[in-house]
Amino acid sequence: MQTAKRDIAVSMTGISKRFGPVRALENANLEIARGSILGLVGQNGAGKSTIIKVLAGIIKPDSGSIVVNGETVSTLTPASVEKLGVHFIHQDRLLVPTATVGEAVFLGHEIGLGPFVSRRAMERRAADLLKRFFGMELPAGTLVKDLTTAQQKVVQITRALAQKASVLVLDEPTAALVKREVDSLFDVLRRLRDDGIAVVFISHYMQEIEKLCDRVTVMRNGTDVGTVDPRQTPIDEIIAMMIARDVGEMFPKRSVELGAPVLEVSNLRLGGSFENIGFNVRAGEIVGLTGLLGSGAKEIVQCLFGLKTADGGEVKVEGRELSLSTPVKAVRDGIAMLPEDRRAHGVALGLSVRENISLASLRRYSRTGMVSRGAENQAVDGLIKELSIKTPHRDALVRELSGGNQQKVAIAKWLSCQSRVYVLDEPTVAVDVGAKVEIYNLLNRLAGEGAAILLLSSDLLELVGVCDRVLVVYRGRLAGSFSGPAMNSDALLAASSGARSNADGVAA
Amino acid sequence: MSVSANDNASKASMRGFLAKYSVLIAFAAIVIFFSVASPTFLTPANLFNVLVNNVVMLAIVALGLTIVISSGGIDLSVGVSVDMASMIFVMLLAAGYSGVVGVAGGLGAALIVGILNAILITRLNISPFLATLGVLFIGQSTQQLATSGGQPIYLTSGYAADQFNAIARTALFGIPTPVIVLIVLAVVVHLLLHRSVFGRYVQAMGAQPGVAWYSGIRVPRELSMVHVLCALLAGVTGILLSATVKSYVPLSGNAFLLDAIGATFIGTTLSRERKPSVIGTLLGVLLLAIVKNGLLLVGWNFYWQQVGIGVLVFLVLAASFGLRRAAH
Repeated sequence: MQTAKRDIAVSMTGISKRFGPVRALENANLEIARGSILGLVGQNGAGKSTIIKVLAGIIKPDSGSIVVNGETVSTLTPASVEKLGVHFIHQDRLLVPTATVGEAVFLGHEIGLGPFVSRRAMERRAADLLKRFFGMELPAGTLVKDLTTAQQKVVQITRALAQKASVLVLDEPTAALVKREVDSLFDVLRRLRDDGIAVVFISHYMQEIEKLCDRVTVMRNGTDVGTVDPRQTPIDEIIAMMIARDVGEMFPKRSVELGAPVLEVSNLRLGGSFENIGFNVRAGEIVGLTGLLGSGAKEIVQCLFGLKTADGGEVKVEGRELSLSTPVKAVRDGIAMLPEDRRAHGVALGLSVRENISLASLRRYSRTGMVSRGAENQAVDGLIKELSIKTPHRDALVRELSGGNQQKVAIAKWLSCQSRVYVLDEPTVAVDVGAKVEIYNLLNRLAGEGAAILLLSSDLLELVGVCDRVLVVYRGRLAGSFSGPAMNSDALLAASSGARSNADGVAA
Repeated sequence: MSVSANDNASKASMRGFLAKYSVLIAFAAIVIFFSVASPTFLTPANLFNVLVNNVVMLAIVALGLTIVISSGGIDLSVGVSVDMASMIFVMLLAAGYSGVVGVAGGLGAALIVGILNAILITRLNISPFLATLGVLFIGQSTQQLATSGGQPIYLTSGYAADQFNAIARTALFGIPTPVIVLIVLAVVVHLLLHRSVFGRYVQAMGAQPGVAWYSGIRVPRELSMVHVLCALLAGVTGILLSATVKSYVPLSGNAFLLDAIGATFIGTTLSRERKPSVIGTLLGVLLLAIVKNGLLLVGWNFYWQQVGIGVLVFLVLAASFGLRRAAH
């Protein structure tokens, strides 16, 4: 598809950058072609964001050369980069929430006469641009805060286009978007590519890379380890390049003797969300649960932890019927929950590792209501070691830990309770590949020790790699249960979107 | 290069030290200043007076607020708890009941204020700020209605009244009785907040309420406990106040509110995470009390004392924040 001589917009060669003893970039190269979408992938710390910051003029490299539109540039500043037509859509929405769409699009380049800005002119021009590029019509004077996240992204892109962008760099643009919004953002990016703009797309989601990108550059340890066509290279191979090991190792397989059912759910229903949900999870079993947004999969998990109260049905743990009306009861009945929003519900960032780990099990380390620090320290130290949580000491604040280690602290909290059932809600979101592997290993070990694990995830690769069995929810009902060879991402995707499939039976 | 790096590091750690102990340093500086400025300041009689009249009652209210603020909330109605306890205590004693009945009635009145706060916050899900503000308004009007527009009630001499007044004004082993009450309560609250399971739950709710809820903590029950304890402690102050002045003066409890909040926040500068602590709060109370007393001794009038205290609070907090930022 590509012509022999590509039209190169930006070429970065031999870029190196050290921060004290840390080598952030070592002889890294990045080539961005016009009329093409380049994916940029790598683990956290691989140098993705550093090389992008070098291009943005935020970080000054120690060595290397940068050529933009055929001209070698020596010093880059954020302002000079914009003049060269290179624009960045950062992960955090950098829009003023109370600004109108017009004001946001022309922020820093206001239209008007002298010191007076013409809000009306900006609104009109912005509306024109939005309609022309994206076929999007917004009422005049719409405020940024009233837009969906996807629309805000589009406004940011429009701002770049209004400045005649020739290179557009998007850092994790889909992180806060739902599926439908991702699709429309992809349509926008493809249209821009066809108009000859060079697009760089940074993402943790390999399926997005596969779907969208013409080429993908993989970074590892501060350098680029290869550029491939994601449509011809299997995802496994790309991931292997990122982590420099086999994907087989990423999803470590295990053989666990399955025991008796630990979690038994029957005929569970919640008005407006789901009905007639029944399944078992046996000791040592990892069961996946997936479904599109609004399918009811999320609400099932919430009911199991008492965050929502089911309208009917039965939940048993080790044969005992539970009344799940609050998390207090769920915890007492041996159900552990790893919530999706780690910072709001999983770990208290302002408390120490010790205080977080013992929080749900303080009664075990206390006598007559007073905490025994000796017993607590011993248990906490044991868990820090067991899960290899990287923390300077047990009294370090959780805020100071990396995302993966914070997630381990959240898991340790439940290990300390000796919970029997683990309900995990998207446990590897915003966690880098290395930490993901550690979390998968941990799940395997939990299962090995006889815990029953229910894993809610929208990452199909993860489900296929980790689970013994995957349940798919479609419009509030179980649409299928997949295991063995039938459990593959195509089948799961088909069942999630309501296509008929040959599952191995609905209720398991 | 390495020399200046070391230099910077030692400067940073010096600033960190100053930031951490800014309250103690301010404390020492102020004591030295007033000792020089006023010959009566450092006399045992004056210090006794400061302790009994300026420290104990404020400190007990502040202990309660320390618990509430640790839980991430606030109690603006502590003055109402003080007043209600004081009012019922004095009314019962004036009606000839024994001291035990008076104390029980007074604490019972404070308990009702605490339960009311707890219900508003945990059952009706009103924010602690608005719930306790509402209770403050209601409590003030209630007192005026009960005392025909705010008439004080005086305790005429009688057995129980005199006995309490004597206790409030005497000393045990050379320590004034109210100070002993404070020490006992401070130790209890310290153990509760920093050593007990309940205290951990309070800290967790203060740090991240969602995490507390997702960890199976009975958040409504623990929060109710927090507000009841705070009201009861304020009630103790109400009884001490009445026993000392042998009367109930409507709306006198509000004087404690802002000082107690100020003392608690001054105390948070002692901890790295700016968490309230019993020791910090006690230091904050001492600091405020000494400044008030010292300014009085050097001849400042009441209004200028308030200005002095405002400036002091700014200085301590600004020094602590600023130095800490510089240390990072």
